[in-house]
Amino acid sequence: MRDADLTSKDVARLAATTDLMEREWAPCRYGCPVHADVRGYLEAIAEGRWREAIDIIRDRLPFASVCGRICHHPCEANCRRTDVDQPVAIREVKRFVAELQAPGGSTVRKAAVQDKARVAIVGAGPSGLSAALELAKRGYRPTVFEKFPVAGGIPATAIPKYRLPRDVLRIDTDWILAHGVELRTGVEIGKDKSLDDLRQEGFAAIILATGLSTSRLLPMPGADHPRVLPALRFLTDVVFGRKVDIGQDVLVIGGGNVAVDAARTALRLGAPRVRMMFLESLDEMPAYKWEQDEALEEGITFTPRRGPTEVLVTGGRIVGVKARAVTRVFDENKRFDPRYDDADVITMDCDTVILAIGQAADMGFLRGGSLKTDARGRVPWTPATQQTNLPWVFAAGEIVTPPGSVVEACASGRRVAEAVDLFLSGREIGLDDTLPPHIDKITAGVGEKVVKAPREAVAAEPPEQRKTSFTPVDRNLTAEAAAREARRCMSCGAGAEVIVDKCAACLTCLRVCPFEIPKVTDVARIDSVLCQSCGICIAECPANAIIARGWNPKSLPARAGATLAALPAGGKTLAYMGGYRATPADWRGERKAVPGVAEVYLPSVARLSVMDLLAPFERGAERVLVVACPDGADRYPRTAQRLRRRVEQARQLLAEAGLGADRLQLLQVADQGRPAIREALAAAQQVAIS
Amino acid sequence: MTEAVSNLQKALAAGRFVVTGEIGPPKGTNIGPVIHEAEHYLKGRVVAVNVTDIQTAVMRAGSLVGCKLLVDHGIEPVFQMVTRDRNRLALQSDLLSAWILGIRNVLALTGDHVAMGDHPEAKPVYDLDSVGLLMAMGKLESGTDLGHDFKGNPNRLDGAPTFFKGCCVTPCAEEVEPQIIKLEKKAAAGAQFVQTQAVYDPATFEKFMQRIGHIKIPVLVGIVVLKSAGMAKYMNRSVPGVQVPEAIIKELTAAPKDGLKKVSAEIAARLVREMKPMCQGAHLMTLGWDDLVPDIIAQAGLAS
Amino acid sequence: MIVAERKPLDQILQALAPFRRILVLGCGSCVTVCLAGGEKQADELAAQLRLAARQKGLDLTVEVDCITRQCDREFARNLKADPSTYDAVLSIACGVGVGFMSELFPQVPVLPGLNTTFYGANVASGVWAEYCHGCGDCVLAWTGGICPIARCSKSLINGTCGGTNKDKCEVSKDMDCGWLLIYNRLKTLGRLDELKKLRAPRDWRKDRGAGVRRLTHQELVKLEEEAKA
Repeated sequence: MRDADLTSKDVARLAATTDLMEREWAPCRYGCPVHADVRGYLEAIAEGRWREAIDIIRDRLPFASVCGRICHHPCEANCRRTDVDQPVAIREVKRFVAELQAPGGSTVRKAAVQDKARVAIVGAGPSGLSAALELAKRGYRPTVFEKFPVAGGIPATAIPKYRLPRDVLRIDTDWILAHGVELRTGVEIGKDKSLDDLRQEGFAAIILATGLSTSRLLPMPGADHPRVLPALRFLTDVVFGRKVDIGQDVLVIGGGNVAVDAARTALRLGAPRVRMMFLESLDEMPAYKWEQDEALEEGITFTPRRGPTEVLVTGGRIVGVKARAVTRVFDENKRFDPRYDDADVITMDCDTVILAIGQAADMGFLRGGSLKTDARGRVPWTPATQQTNLPWVFAAGEIVTPPGSVVEACASGRRVAEAVDLFLSGREIGLDDTLPPHIDKITAGVGEKVVKAPREAVAAEPPEQRKTSFTPVDRNLTAEAAAREARRCMSCGAGAEVIVDKCAACLTCLRVCPFEIPKVTDVARIDSVLCQSCGICIAECPANAIIARGWNPKSLPARAGATLAALPAGGKTLAYMGGYRATPADWRGERKAVPGVAEVYLPSVARLSVMDLLAPFERGAERVLVVACPDGADRYPRTAQRLRRRVEQARQLLAEAGLGADRLQLLQVADQGRPAIREALAAAQQVAIS
Repeated sequence: MTEAVSNLQKALAAGRFVVTGEIGPPKGTNIGPVIHEAEHYLKGRVVAVNVTDIQTAVMRAGSLVGCKLLVDHGIEPVFQMVTRDRNRLALQSDLLSAWILGIRNVLALTGDHVAMGDHPEAKPVYDLDSVGLLMAMGKLESGTDLGHDFKGNPNRLDGAPTFFKGCCVTPCAEEVEPQIIKLEKKAAAGAQFVQTQAVYDPATFEKFMQRIGHIKIPVLVGIVVLKSAGMAKYMNRSVPGVQVPEAIIKELTAAPKDGLKKVSAEIAARLVREMKPMCQGAHLMTLGWDDLVPDIIAQAGLAS
Repeated sequence: MIVAERKPLDQILQALAPFRRILVLGCGSCVTVCLAGGEKQADELAAQLRLAARQKGLDLTVEVDCITRQCDREFARNLKADPSTYDAVLSIACGVGVGFMSELFPQVPVLPGLNTTFYGANVASGVWAEYCHGCGDCVLAWTGGICPIARCSKSLINGTCGGTNKDKCEVSKDMDCGWLLIYNRLKTLGRLDELKKLRAPRDWRKDRGAGVRRLTHQELVKLEEEAKA
């Protein structure tokens, strides 16, 4: 629920009212492991500000392009639009802008000087490279050691190319390296050098980021057959173009994402039949739902609730796998503790088995060094400081955290960099992990009033075609589609808030809100959880007592003035453009202008106040036009009528002042496409004025 | 009951069906014509003649001077007083003046709002309403007034008047109960006779008279002479509580141009005849067509 | 609540004619609620004045400020600048504010930007109706809560006159007949007996009949004097 009321004093203390959005996070941002400003970059994309968008993303997420392809998008899972129609396709929109702005389209914020200590990072995966980036930005000199010939970790070595094209990965790794990160590939710590050697070489701190690079094996009869393939090795071999020995009838053991990757890869290598068998029920199957769906579309079948007991080999060839029924996988405390029914055993025919039952760490990097594993064979680790039991050796990523995704690895890497920075500065490693509260769910009352808009569909290759090659399964959104999708964002938390000491409880906000959100007792209060940021109350409040958290209502006159100043001298017109249905090209100014007309694009013109309509006349405009949607087509319900009233009011004030009402016109053509809008703007220029 | 102070009072007390007329002073000083009309058409035919008081908020010569001139010409006036224009000091003062000038019948009215007239910028007074004016008259009659001396005691008049006090009512108002309640209050405040707003529908009037049976003061039904169909329609549209039936409008429409006055008189006379059994008199408002009064009286069978 | 509306611009411009540098001063109370004189309206008026001045070739500088109320002296402390540094102050508070600010800042002309009209209730969005006359002697106990002084055009006290026309006042078909409202309300409440009571002529002394009015809480005045002593 809401915390303290906002006063004028509070507002005066803020650098900008956008700081208020730090008090309470939108659930997308809260749910994102790196807490990217999702609302911020969606807004930028909605308005065609590609560079700004990718910079906002990369401010928190180094692996923007990779995540645009493969992230499991907890942001979308938390998106409040789910309760209105469908969640915003945040990952697809991110993918669009990340790949559009590559290479060179993202700002590189290199430290002016990198003269602080050298830090060694073992493993050039997402956590290691994220740590390296953060340290380089803070002026350290990170060197990343990677045993493989390429940087990127699992995304580089195991994730199939139909999910993640490698040029997409390079966008991210190149950008990271451009910040002053040294990469040494083909160097295996524990073989070519030990950890102690690194210390000798002058690295003041070491970060272990080796991840989980081997597959867990299942000891059972027949498991040593050469066609029983550990999944990661199989995938890596395919990635590096090495020959793999698979047959015609592949059985993948396991139900996670790696298992699905292995199955779909086997299919693409030409295996006529590929099946997956796993302990879990279909509901419990751990692979991402969309991965499951795509696999099924491609003809892979699932056999749930079965556990292998023996690989049947006849005449030196695998002929099948014996599998017993599983009665349960998890115990009452949701811990992995499978139970079986040994009386119910079947044989799954196959000639190849791929084991994808989980990944494990390769501890080889410890060889020759003084760091030892703990009693359970793991790297000793303190989560709060991310230190091992050697204070200068830290760890991040899946080597120490539970198995996770790329974005979670990035979060771990950034955190360890902060810990290393504190350590190397001689300070106590006290990391503040507290988060602001997050905005709650949208209520049904408000949700049903939000104008519905369907989620942009992503064009996918048909299964029959795509399963024969490693080309990507689906296509990027177009710029128009990405902008449209980004505009479905409800800007949760960016809406109105009342400055209570200015509020006269006049009830105007309560009466004009299309979503019936304000509550008025002694003063008006607007629930930030529900506000849709239409801006009408702000425009109409007679006491100027309402601020917008997501934008500055006072900035429009200056913006109008600047746009007008850029026009050549003579009969200038300022046109406020309702940008909800405009293309990104329109927003970016990549459009055929109408001579004498300065166009200012807004997410919605419902927020225009009478002052906004009058101000351009004091800043060089001879005319002001408002291009809005017609009634019923507006972005927020019933706002067209309110805007009309304000335009009428401003026209009257202009008439009274002797300028003539016709200097201000409302053109309800925003939904008719650019040619029609141009025509309307040109025609409006012809209307006689005094 | 005290002795009657006017012929009107006497006639009503005697149970005769009385007829009163009405004249309006000029918007200027040329009062001669209207007095002449009264002399010519009303004297000896009607028992008393009302003189209107700045009627419909259009500035005119006063009712007081009109009444005085009627007295001088041997015609008994009814002094109409509206409370719109004068406060209680002026009203009480005018009442004393009226009595000194020989005027006895007084009709206490609220008066149309200034917005209706030709001086809409004027400040409406309404210090008293019609009930208050009746109460004021009662005070004067009892030798005092509405004020007090500096010690807070009631004032004592040097010479007290006696009036025959009248009021008005709108029998055909859409909401008639408030009219009846107010009439009860006017009677309680001292009203001794009633002249009504124009009535054109005897059936409605009959119902009304039944409902005020408990208010035991004589009622003179008001008849406004209809000068044309247009005037009738205007009254229907704009004058509250007055409803001219369609049939009468048709009559007026059908009347030939030079025969209009005759039809007008006929209608008025017929209405008087029809409503005579229901009330104690008729108040004829001729709006300048005083020449019709003899005909109306004759046709109504009221030649006195 | 006090209801007021913006004066026509040409009237304001006429009053401002002798002045060059003016302050438009808004009020955060009643006039904000009736959308006539709040901070937003102050901004709009200032913009309008500047545009009109430019149109007419007048030399006019307009600044804006707004305080919580213009009828209590303490709020004047919150003014951004000393009003007497302006040639004139255009107050868009109600008449009380204009007058009081005039008193607080006697060296600078304080001009009214609004016409203050009546005490009103917000009967519908955008509509305010006169509900109280400020007569000083409230009789709403026997009129079913409807004020005969404010809502009867003639301020009668004994019931309807004869002018009620289709439930409306004779003055205008958009004006309800106040006494008919009272009659209906008393009927609903079962209190028509109140309507039947004779009401004696009203004592107008409390309604400016005894001159300019003042309300004093003697104990508070005494406390102030003691505090100063």
